[in-house]
Amino acid sequence: MAAARAIAALGRRLAGSLRLSGARPGLMAAGLPGLTLNPCHKNLAQAEPLCHARFLHATLPQKGLEEFFDDPKNWGEKTVKSGDAWNIKQLRAKSSQDLHKLWYVLLKEKNMLLTLEQESKRQQKPMPSPERLEKVQKSMKNIDLVVREREIALRLLQTGHEKPVPGEWRNDFLGRTYWYSYKEWPIPWYLNKKYQKRKFYYLPHVNRFIRLRLEKKLRLRNRRQNLEKKKRKLLEKKFPHLAVKSQSQ
Amino acid sequence: MRLSALLRLAAPPKLPKGYRHGTWRPGTAAERLRNPPGQRRKKIFVEPISREDWKVFRGDTVQVLTGKDAGKQGMVTQVVRARNWVVVEGLNTHYRYVNRDAKYSSTYIASEAPLLLNQISLVDPEDRKPTEVDWRYTEEGERVRVSLRTGRIIPLPLWQRRDGIVPEQWIDGPKDTSVDDALDKTYTPSLKTFEEEIMDAMGIVETRRAKKSYWY
Repeated sequence: MAAARAIAALGRRLAGSLRLSGARPGLMAAGLPGLTLNPCHKNLAQAEPLCHARFLHATLPQKGLEEFFDDPKNWGEKTVKSGDAWNIKQLRAKSSQDLHKLWYVLLKEKNMLLTLEQESKRQQKPMPSPERLEKVQKSMKNIDLVVREREIALRLLQTGHEKPVPGEWRNDFLGRTYWYSYKEWPIPWYLNKKYQKRKFYYLPHVNRFIRLRLEKKLRLRNRRQNLEKKKRKLLEKKFPHLAVKSQSQ
Repeated sequence: MRLSALLRLAAPPKLPKGYRHGTWRPGTAAERLRNPPGQRRKKIFVEPISREDWKVFRGDTVQVLTGKDAGKQGMVTQVVRARNWVVVEGLNTHYRYVNRDAKYSSTYIASEAPLLLNQISLVDPEDRKPTEVDWRYTEEGERVRVSLRTGRIIPLPLWQRRDGIVPEQWIDGPKDTSVDDALDKTYTPSLKTFEEEIMDAMGIVETRRAKKSYWY
């Protein structure tokens, strides 16, 4: 427990309260030394006063575009300190609203990191602390897994089915059996020309090819088993004690 | 995105079929130089040891049994399971030149060669003598390494994170969640789906009716 708390003491990402105070004096150094923002032509005239007036909020930051960039304190740093990714155990204890909010916070952070990555590629400089991106992606993947687990549990309780979409085993025109999952259509099957054209049956002449396919599968399986036996024999020859162990077992 | 696609993205890229593992981590420049794609080398036979049977970890103290430094003890700095290799700090060294430049004639350093598992033996913590070790279960149910000669438990080495962060000494940054907030349990199980709970919380009422659709 103490170990878990110690590990949890690393901290996670929750950037909801990040706010940029004041204006940017110039359009310089967003996360990288020497980076200049390139506002589109429409905003150029409005962005001009930025350079002269230090304490005016200009067009760019007002629209929320500052969230695509890191905290100005981190601009030009070689490494940025970041905590651990969200663990799946910690996420399982969170309510749906918390997960929903966390998803969007992580999404904004991911957008910021991807912008930083692209800009560092453009400037041919190393991205500061790329492991942050992996941590954010891992956290988002874990949230998705948790939501999916809860959905599957509820569905199992209510219907007894695990899969969200029903389906069945069907044959195709080549005689192969596969899991066909149902699709949503606006019209019933007897009116659906595209669906009618699909053949979920095979004609008698295909039986020969089914037999050939089965023979091929068996041949491959036997070859694989023989190869494993040969490899095991070779290993036993090289390491005699393995043969003794297998005999005793 | 579909779960399977997500998982495939997260999984590390597979190594080629006849890949020969070295002491370098796959993905580094040194490894890419020595194992270029398309290289085929003679197969090296490695005694198969299962994941559960593995006994030596990074940070363990081991004694070298054969070779130039036979009888000396040292700490394990690197383990390569694919080749049953263990690199012990300062032992079984050979000398080489590194960091050669146009202007600088290189540095002469001692570099450790990896040792196989049968050239290594784990050391009893109190005796400080080499012993045979086995995995056993304690009365609490914990799986531990037990020295067969004396019966003492050999504790696992302290596991350090690869990024060098020590959890006890960590100070939260501006974007980090505090420990209490992260461990706070807010989940109450209910019979509503995730979407329904969010809609209730945000006050979204769906008045549109779905058109009749057919599933087949």
